[in-house]
Amino acid sequence: MSEDDPILDPHVFDELQAMAGADFVVELLDTLAEEAPGLLAEMAAAQAAGAAERFRRAAHSLKTNAGTFGAVRLAAQARALEQGGVPGDDAPLHALGETFRQALAALRALARR
Amino acid sequence: MSDGTHDAAAVLRFGPVEILAAERRLRVDGRDVPLGGRAFDLLLALATHRQRLVSKDELIDLVWPGLVVEDNNLQVQVSALRKALGAQAITTVAGRGYRFTLGSGAAPVASLPQGAQGAPAAAPMSASGGQAHAGAPSSLARAGTATSPARVLVADDNKVNRLLLCRSLELMGHAVTSVDNGRAALQALRGGDFELLLLDLEMPELDGFAVLEHRAEDAALRELPVIVTSSVEGVAQVARCIELGADDFLHKPVNPLLLKARVNASLESGRWRAMQRRRLAVLDPRDGDRGEAAPARLGPATRLAARLHDVEGLARAIGPEEALEAMGAWATLAREALAEQGGIDLMCHGDSVSASFAGSDGAEAALRAARDLHAMLVLLHAEREAAGLPALRCALGLASGDQLAGPGTVAGGASAVAAGALLLRAEQLAALSLQRDAGLLLDAATAQRLQGQPGLAPAVSATGQGADTLAGDDARSSLFIVRL
Repeated sequence: MSEDDPILDPHVFDELQAMAGADFVVELLDTLAEEAPGLLAEMAAAQAAGAAERFRRAAHSLKTNAGTFGAVRLAAQARALEQGGVPGDDAPLHALGETFRQALAALRALARR
Repeated sequence: MSDGTHDAAAVLRFGPVEILAAERRLRVDGRDVPLGGRAFDLLLALATHRQRLVSKDELIDLVWPGLVVEDNNLQVQVSALRKALGAQAITTVAGRGYRFTLGSGAAPVASLPQGAQGAPAAAPMSASGGQAHAGAPSSLARAGTATSPARVLVADDNKVNRLLLCRSLELMGHAVTSVDNGRAALQALRGGDFELLLLDLEMPELDGFAVLEHRAEDAALRELPVIVTSSVEGVAQVARCIELGADDFLHKPVNPLLLKARVNASLESGRWRAMQRRRLAVLDPRDGDRGEAAPARLGPATRLAARLHDVEGLARAIGPEEALEAMGAWATLAREALAEQGGIDLMCHGDSVSASFAGSDGAEAALRAARDLHAMLVLLHAEREAAGLPALRCALGLASGDQLAGPGTVAGGASAVAAGALLLRAEQLAALSLQRDAGLLLDAATAQRLQGQPGLAPAVSATGQGADTLAGDDARSSLFIVRL
């Protein structure tokens, strides 16, 4: 169950900083903060329209972004939705949104160390 | 490459010579001197082992790791370095190896680039966001083997991925352009001079699979190395990419060290393929990649013939095996010199190498090739002399006129042929030059095209009276020489 996954794997984040530079990673986080809400909105719109492929693509992108930063739980939830298709109710997307907010807060805290 | 005795980011200085290891650049008196990849590897190997003699076997292992390589290839690269740095830069120790002697007596000054000690290093405006990013030096920039900078295209609709890949590649020293869909990727590839494509699969307009399909059908793009980067799951998708011609596949999130290794490998592979295509084009001019021979043509050309003197005598003196090796080294240099200046319809018959230089400026290109070959042979001669081996005498002939060339028409024969009186004439001039020890002999037609060239003069006949001509020619077909 993805709720058992940690919010973050800090080693992934540390490696990202070591490779790309701390300042660059801060800007990359800003990009994530801009892009991810759009992907969540796209998933919601696709769910409402019953557009399975649109839903899958958005979930795929969110999964990839989460993995880049080591946001483990977010990546797992996005992967489940990518593979499971359009859900029958809003609960999974609400949970995904909440997980994203938690992940972003944790990532920003790591970046401020 | 690193041998553990120097920092891959160091700059080695020997007087006016700077070797920038990480950037793979050679500078002499502040000016960049172009060097091929292998020549640079050899330079680095010799410079970092400068305290001692390095054997040929060790140098071959360092420059061509894991490959079976003949001494000829090493000699060619040594000659290229001597041409770039001067004959005194590398000393041959007969039967034992080479020693780097540039600036000997003064210790080199090795320095690290600004920022490598922890101070911020400024980065230029870049595809990864347009801002300089100060900070601790990247582990990516420090780690592993550098390859010479390349133009790389990144195609990914995900902005986070795109920015991160661009950043990674820029830290490796490459020039990066990015696009966010497959159609833009194809447009960019067709309009630009890229050496590598990093391709996402899931993109709008045209996805990565479609880009691979278009690339496979486009002769101009087919040989471009492509690394697919994606977080798709399942072996089937990876297999499909490889079947469509992708060179490699990296799962996202991409490990930076793995990215660097795969990028370096793909660039090296692509550059070798490009070099092989250029060499093949010299031997077998075919139209692009469609398997069609270049069309038949009759037009002006200058033919350069180079001939090695008395290979039979050489074989009697040093044995047939050594003589063949020497002839191979000479022929390798000759082919390189001729091909480098655009020589086509190249023919090699052991002790003679010839090529045509087409068009109105063909004579000048042929003369440059002759001078390059002469310069390389001087270095080869010095090396052989140092090794106690007999000298190789070579003579050159240049003849101009109309040449017929095109696809071969004889079953089982050459795939491309060249014919015309100038071919035989060039060979005759080379043979006559050998007899007279005249260096480079030209016919009147070539001399006319090279009017004003320094060192051009009528060739004096063997009797010392009047201008030289080929047997059977009249006085209007005088011969000329150019002192090389």
